[in-house]
Amino acid sequence: MQQQNFISRSVFPVVLVLAIAIISFFGYSGSQSIENDKIRAVVALIFGTTYFLSITFGPFYVYTIGYVKGSLLKERILASSLTPFLWMTKEVFRLTHSHPFLESLYWYLSPLHLWLIMFIGLELGAATLIARKILKNRGEVKIVMSPAPLIVMGVSLFLVIGAYAWGKGENLYVMFLEGYRILFGSGLS
Amino acid sequence: MKNNAKIKMNCRYILNLVGVVVITLIGFLSFGQADSAVMNQGKRPNIIFILGDNHNADFMGCAGHSFIKTPGMDRLAREGLMFTNTFNTTSLCSPSRASILTGTYAHNHGVKNNHISWTGTRKTFLEYLSEAGYSTAFIGKWHMPGGLPEMPFLDLYVSYTDHEGQGRYFNCPMIVNGEEVASRKSYITEEVTDYAIEFMENSVKTPAKDRKPFCIYLAHRPGHPPFQSPKDIRGMYDSQNISKNLPKQVDEYWFGKTDGNVFQGVMMGSYYDQYRKYCETITAMDRDIVRILDKVDELGLEDNTLVIYMGDNGMQWGTHGCHGIREPYEESIRLPFIVRAPWLIRDNSEKCDQIIANVDIAPFLLDIAGVEVPKSMDGKSLKPLLREPDGKFSDACLLEFWRYYPENTPSYTGVRTQRYKYVEFEKSRKPWLFDLKKDPKEEENIYNTPNGQKEVKRLQAIMKELKSQ
Repeated sequence: MQQQNFISRSVFPVVLVLAIAIISFFGYSGSQSIENDKIRAVVALIFGTTYFLSITFGPFYVYTIGYVKGSLLKERILASSLTPFLWMTKEVFRLTHSHPFLESLYWYLSPLHLWLIMFIGLELGAATLIARKILKNRGEVKIVMSPAPLIVMGVSLFLVIGAYAWGKGENLYVMFLEGYRILFGSGLS
Repeated sequence: MKNNAKIKMNCRYILNLVGVVVITLIGFLSFGQADSAVMNQGKRPNIIFILGDNHNADFMGCAGHSFIKTPGMDRLAREGLMFTNTFNTTSLCSPSRASILTGTYAHNHGVKNNHISWTGTRKTFLEYLSEAGYSTAFIGKWHMPGGLPEMPFLDLYVSYTDHEGQGRYFNCPMIVNGEEVASRKSYITEEVTDYAIEFMENSVKTPAKDRKPFCIYLAHRPGHPPFQSPKDIRGMYDSQNISKNLPKQVDEYWFGKTDGNVFQGVMMGSYYDQYRKYCETITAMDRDIVRILDKVDELGLEDNTLVIYMGDNGMQWGTHGCHGIREPYEESIRLPFIVRAPWLIRDNSEKCDQIIANVDIAPFLLDIAGVEVPKSMDGKSLKPLLREPDGKFSDACLLEFWRYYPENTPSYTGVRTQRYKYVEFEKSRKPWLFDLKKDPKEEENIYNTPNGQKEVKRLQAIMKELKSQ
């Protein structure tokens, strides 16, 4: 398997996904000022969907491209996590408008973020198998299936479904708030 | 003979005078005749206080909502008095509930956000009523952190601690007088209403001469996410076109998941569906309000029972780009509030638009029961308004909020008058000033305008005065 240059294997897919996310964010926000109801609804639907897809499924694309183009494991994981991480950071930053910095940082551990991280685990496992299949078709690798991606997928899938099934996510949220109170009390001095 | 005639004349004069005085007194006191009759017969009124959760005041048939079915609330409004300007002084569940129970602002009762436990420093109206000889029941949602407090004065104490005190819509384990028991009915409003009905039935079993008046505090879960309703109600609003009920900017699929609204429990599914399900839970709760009213009739208590329906918070559905309860917009801070007291309300065709606050509830209930209102309470009785909805009451209501993680609203202090709303925020958010007469939808912040600046000082002075209470 031949390793392509850094820009081609990692920077390009990351920039592409990030650009879609940023354009979608502004596109969705901007849709609210469109007067025509039908056009506004269509624009909101398109940009809302691409915003969601870029954050949630972007890692799958970045990881697959990185794998096929010869990125190392660490690089693939970092590159594929970048867009979701930036989205989480945006949400953390938004909290600083109301809360102190340290408390805002705790939002990284919010159930929604944890759920996204679990889901990314599932995607990366699947991306590994697909990338290997592509490379096998090219004759660059021999094995597609191996225990590691299957275990990652299995565990992630279990956690993704479990986190939702366990009280529709409410229980996880309660635990998150308990953690907050242990660390910060009521948040008021 | 002369003396006898003089004595007769004097007697006649005195009798006439007494007659005139008596008639004058009867006329003078006629406003309170029915009330006195209720009180003097030793029949202090029973009280049923029903509390909804996150109930936007516009989501009732009687408030003009386009499709929601709330026959119970509509009946209350028809037979009682509906208040259209009732406000939550701290727009968050636990502080609001503590204010309702104690008649004090959050800066006095201390439950400033949902992370702070019940302080117990202020007595609840239930305790005062219990001391005054009432049979009292707390039934339903407590929802303040730190578990359920000891309230040994209660005759019945039914609540739950599940899900941080939020409970579950279905099969919620209950704590009845300190003992955990399984739910007897599947749906939570039916479950707690059954306890209230049993309490009423047990109360009237006592012979009339020995009977104590009762007060039931019945706090429901509906209105709070995740919105779930019983099978026969689920889906009843599926055919409604929700886009007509929401601001144009709110799209069906992504609004609830973007720009901070993901905090609010609407991560999954369509926003329109969330709206429909919310309405279904309100209708489910209303069905049990109907049961309560029917039981009051069946037991023959309607002429001597005060029935109140109120919400703990309002709820924003997409207005100003927000979903939730914490921003000081009207949809969040305005509460549904209906009072039925047949012996006090003379004209139930009117609505009362006086400014009422949740801190006024406890003093009102004590006043209704003939119990002296403690000076430590911040609110005042609105009993006079039941007779004269246009009478003088409050000019303004204090609004205060302490940041509550992870809601993205900074701490604020504000004031709501009949015409203006002024709010000062912490952190970097600029103050709000809305002229509600000209701009009822709160779309134009006039804080930085010359007219706005003229009003600010006056409103700050009112705010300061209310805050110092």
